[in-house]
Amino acid sequence: MTSSAVPVARRAGPYLRVEDLKVHFSTEDGTVRAVDGISFAVEQGRTLGIVGESGSGKSVTSLAILGLHDQRRTRLSGRILLGERDLLRLSEEEVRRLRGRDMAMIFQDPLSALHPYYTVGRQVAEAYRVHHPDAGRREARQRAVDMLGRVGIPQPGRRFDQYPHEFSGGMRQRAMIAMALVNDPDLLIADEPTTALDVTVQAQILDLLADLQAEFRSAIILITHDLGVVSQVADEVLVMYGGRAVEHGSVEQVLRRPQHPYTWGLLSSVPSLHGDAEADLVPIPGNPPSLINLPSGCAFHPRCRYADRNGTRSRAEVPELRPAGAPGHLVACHLSADDRTRLYAEDVAHVGVAR
Amino acid sequence: MLRFIIRRLLVAVVTLIVISLVTFGLFFAVPSSPAKVMCGKNCTAADIAQVEERLGIRDPLPEQYVNFASGIFVGRTFGSGEFERECPAPCLGYSFRNDQPVTEIVAQRAPVTFSIVFGAAAIWILLGVTLGMISALRRGTVFDRFAIGVSLAGASMQVYFFGLILLYLLVYATGLLPFPSYTPLTENPAKWALGLLLPWMTLGFLNSALYARLSRAQMLETLSEDFVRTARAKGLPLRRVHTRHALRAAITPIVTIAGLDIGTALGGTFITETIFGLQGLGKATVEAVQFLNLPVVMATVLLAAIFIVIANIVVDVLYAVIDPRVRLS
Amino acid sequence: MRRTARTLSIGVLSVALVATGCTRTTDDGGTGTGNEEAKTQTGSISYEAADNQGPATAVEGATKGGTITVLREFDFEHLDPARNYVNVQQLTTNLIYRSLTGYKENGTGKMLLVGDLAKDPGKDVNGDCKVWEFTLRDGLKYEDGSPVTSKDVAYGVARSFAPQLNEGPHYIQQWLYPGGEYNATYKGPYDGGKPTPDGVETPDDKTIRFNFADPHCDMPYAAAMATTAPVPPAKDTKTNYDLRPFSSGPYKVKSYQRDVALELERNPNWDPNSDPLRTAYPDAFKFTFGLEGAQIAERLVADAPADQAAFTWTDVPPAVLPRTTSGAVAERVVKGPTQYVWMLNINTQRVTDVDVRKALNYAVDKDAALKAIGGQAAGTPATTLMSPTTAGWKQYDVFGAPPSGDPEKAKELLGGKTPELVLAHANTEQRTQQAEAIRKTLTERGFKITMKSIESSSYYDEIGRKNNPYDLYLGGWGSDWPTGSTIIPPQFDGREITAEGNYNLSYINDPAVSAEVDRVRQLPAAEQDAEWMKLDEKIMREQVPVVPVYYDATYVLHGSKVGNAFLSDAFGAIQVNTIYVKQ
Repeated sequence: MTSSAVPVARRAGPYLRVEDLKVHFSTEDGTVRAVDGISFAVEQGRTLGIVGESGSGKSVTSLAILGLHDQRRTRLSGRILLGERDLLRLSEEEVRRLRGRDMAMIFQDPLSALHPYYTVGRQVAEAYRVHHPDAGRREARQRAVDMLGRVGIPQPGRRFDQYPHEFSGGMRQRAMIAMALVNDPDLLIADEPTTALDVTVQAQILDLLADLQAEFRSAIILITHDLGVVSQVADEVLVMYGGRAVEHGSVEQVLRRPQHPYTWGLLSSVPSLHGDAEADLVPIPGNPPSLINLPSGCAFHPRCRYADRNGTRSRAEVPELRPAGAPGHLVACHLSADDRTRLYAEDVAHVGVAR
Repeated sequence: MLRFIIRRLLVAVVTLIVISLVTFGLFFAVPSSPAKVMCGKNCTAADIAQVEERLGIRDPLPEQYVNFASGIFVGRTFGSGEFERECPAPCLGYSFRNDQPVTEIVAQRAPVTFSIVFGAAAIWILLGVTLGMISALRRGTVFDRFAIGVSLAGASMQVYFFGLILLYLLVYATGLLPFPSYTPLTENPAKWALGLLLPWMTLGFLNSALYARLSRAQMLETLSEDFVRTARAKGLPLRRVHTRHALRAAITPIVTIAGLDIGTALGGTFITETIFGLQGLGKATVEAVQFLNLPVVMATVLLAAIFIVIANIVVDVLYAVIDPRVRLS
Repeated sequence: MRRTARTLSIGVLSVALVATGCTRTTDDGGTGTGNEEAKTQTGSISYEAADNQGPATAVEGATKGGTITVLREFDFEHLDPARNYVNVQQLTTNLIYRSLTGYKENGTGKMLLVGDLAKDPGKDVNGDCKVWEFTLRDGLKYEDGSPVTSKDVAYGVARSFAPQLNEGPHYIQQWLYPGGEYNATYKGPYDGGKPTPDGVETPDDKTIRFNFADPHCDMPYAAAMATTAPVPPAKDTKTNYDLRPFSSGPYKVKSYQRDVALELERNPNWDPNSDPLRTAYPDAFKFTFGLEGAQIAERLVADAPADQAAFTWTDVPPAVLPRTTSGAVAERVVKGPTQYVWMLNINTQRVTDVDVRKALNYAVDKDAALKAIGGQAAGTPATTLMSPTTAGWKQYDVFGAPPSGDPEKAKELLGGKTPELVLAHANTEQRTQQAEAIRKTLTERGFKITMKSIESSSYYDEIGRKNNPYDLYLGGWGSDWPTGSTIIPPQFDGREITAEGNYNLSYINDPAVSAEVDRVRQLPAAEQDAEWMKLDEKIMREQVPVVPVYYDATYVLHGSKVGNAFLSDAFGAIQVNTIYVKQ
């Protein structure tokens, strides 16, 4: 797989381009290939959803972009281009200066992601001051109060001095967002930003992200296992399995006309509001693969109902990400396009949200 | 906060009353009579009776306890006639063994134990926590491995063993240091420090080992916390991440444990005091038990309990100061 | 004449001190360096002018000056003369205050009882040992320069009657008020009590006379105890006198921090010419308290400059013993018997057959009994009732069995019988092991032994009960002064047996012994020593009430700059009167 396989990268000015990124950790048991050659790009004002089970490499990818991986144990290769800079060729200090200023991140559990001993406002202000060393305390506070207000926290001046545990879950995530956006970053990575929240609050947060994106024109990477969330806010979707991309395309393409059996599985295992409860869900059999001993050939083959249709090919040959038909829609699967269309229609389309 | 402290103090008072009652009870459950020990070798039954009379242990037990307790608040009168002695509040009575006022014994012994404990605590907290933190930050390096090895050895070593080795190496064999002794700090600070160097090293190093392991574990745990990742994601310099964010959180349980350790140690570091021949509270307690010296036993046991109670309250208050999630109520 | 503090303390210590592993008795010695050849005691009371005159005989090579340090586990209990009964306390206070008489010793076994404050060891006015008169020397002064008077001695005796100050010896008190508790009627000069007890007269400032209803030929010895130390009434601080006894001796208290240290400095008003006992070479003494026995031994073995002028009264613990047996360290060991003798008492009310008692004397393995408590450093096998430190002591061995016993002779005496005996012992680890060692050999040598363990704190109460159900039990006895009168009568005169609290633990009650006791007691003190020794042997030859097992030993160290450190026969510990610092 090469960068040339990613047509989107050819277009003018994607803010973030990731090319053939590999993230390997050495452990006592062997080398963990957490991310094994992945490429994508995000333009400003656009949102890329990265979808996959836990252990598929989606969070590792985002941490690698920010340079938050364990420096000692991790080997990175490929390119991560932010603007025109290749982050993997910058020094740690240079990356640090970009972190929080040009690229920011919000995390899954805002309670544990905020320091319990410092006031919310102070943590937001700290994010501002570290990249604005000339800003005074008063200015940083004002900026933080403004941001807290902007993300919809009522009475931000008063809330500034409260501690995270005094905030509700949704308010905490708003505060996280305020902290992430306080320096107007061009790239925002949101790692499962709504997973820990109540369903009603989830929607508010997603709306907020959408609003803010419209205002700040940030590029957003939204990492989630929730296809519902993806369908709501993403422009493009990247489906990851075993550290590799298995499907990539627009939201419309991937969710309406999914091409990879794994994507089918994901869709089938999401409950639909329309279906009847009994026949509704078909979970993907088996467990996510070990990243140390990835199955040979197509990593998904042990769990794939259709793996035997191509003789031993699924076991022997790693499928490349190739155009799946519609422009910009890519899939890494040994099944022929016809097979995929037919199987999807027969086996999948009536199950879960895919319907 | 004030209500919290008042309530905790009330609980403490009840605790102390219970402890004093139990100590009192246990003391009299021992088959030997203190009078037999105190009246020396020439003891007829009449002699013992006289000593018992003098020691005040012929009265009914409840009366003795009430006398003891009220003496603390309003003082007591001991003896009669020309041998009458006024023991002003807070009166803890007189040592059975040598008639010394117990308050005087405590006043004489407590500074010794305090000097040992605070000196050693300074070492173990500074050295132990620093080593632990550095180890955690340099996890897997030679430094870390060495520090873990040393602290494992240290943590599994006993005070008496390590203390005796130091004694042998630094005092008996080489004479580099004088045999430990206590000189009041106010009298001669240099002599005070020199005389306590060995106990400080012994207690300090051994506890350092424990604290290094504890700090390292705490720091490692904290470093894997989400909020540390957040701090890095904000672009904070690593040093600031470690000090302002990680250390602050990692130190909290260490403060708790250090507070309780110090509180417990203040009640007496018997083994250390014994090894180095220092007349602190721990030795006073054990000697008092040995000689069935009830007033001293009561005083030192209660004092130890008070230190632990106070340490608990201080730790709770500190905890609330450090961690805004903790509410004193 | 009581069961000793040492004996009592074993039980007490065992209750509490498991944690520290320390003891203050000599009971846990170790493997010593060979057997100190018992010397013959020639000590006695001397009225020779040469012995009774100051100054004390100079020690060859001794020099004045320096500070002697004494390393101790515990603080003294009492320095107050009325409360002073422990041997090392007496040795210490001998430096501070003087009694009417005292022991003149030089370490060769020639111990003499001579006058201290008094010009001689006391005048038996009527030759019947009932009236004793002491005349004070000239030029005796207290630390403030005021003269020592016989009235102060009388006051010192008087205050020793106070129930609040009752820890001291009570011989003289009991002799003055016989037939009942010594202070049942007179309770000292306090709260309206008379300034002088009945029977004590001070016709002038130099003379004091004691009038007893019964003969007490031992008075010169009793007068050597702190009971007769002078206390000026104006200086009597009652219970606080413990902290600072007023000095009439060569040293006075400079500072005394309880449980930490006692420092003595010279008393400039002491006149060496008035003192036949004390050379007072060092300028000062310092007693350091609160050390472990092992620490003390380690420090003295190491002999660091700061400890070179130090010594201890604490026995070297077994762990350190091996390092004291050779080279320069061995030369700094002071060892020898104390006044204590440990005997296996045979309850003669139950074991009535003398042949069985004799068989026991052949069958007991004294070596094994000693080995159980630490071997040669803890003691040496005994054959006599009295300790080698006793005046007039002479070695004898009625049975002539080796220390490990003579199984053949034992079996022969038993004549095929297998006596069934109950062996009682205190339940401390050491005593249990020792009893087990004794049981083992006795069983091998024709006896059937049942063990009975007794709570150590009530051990002597139990075996001191006349009708106790035991046949054999160990007991230690140490005399308060080194004469047979404090050893033979209390332990072997059947007339002293009562229902409880007995010291005659074999309950031997033979009119022949009693008659002999009476006869010897009537003799002039100087002639008694040899007679007690004869009675000692006679009892072992005829009544055989005990098996003498071992003479308790002490084994202590001093630094390389301590001169003339020898064991006092009177106190069984290093004598300090003539000690000096080598320059």
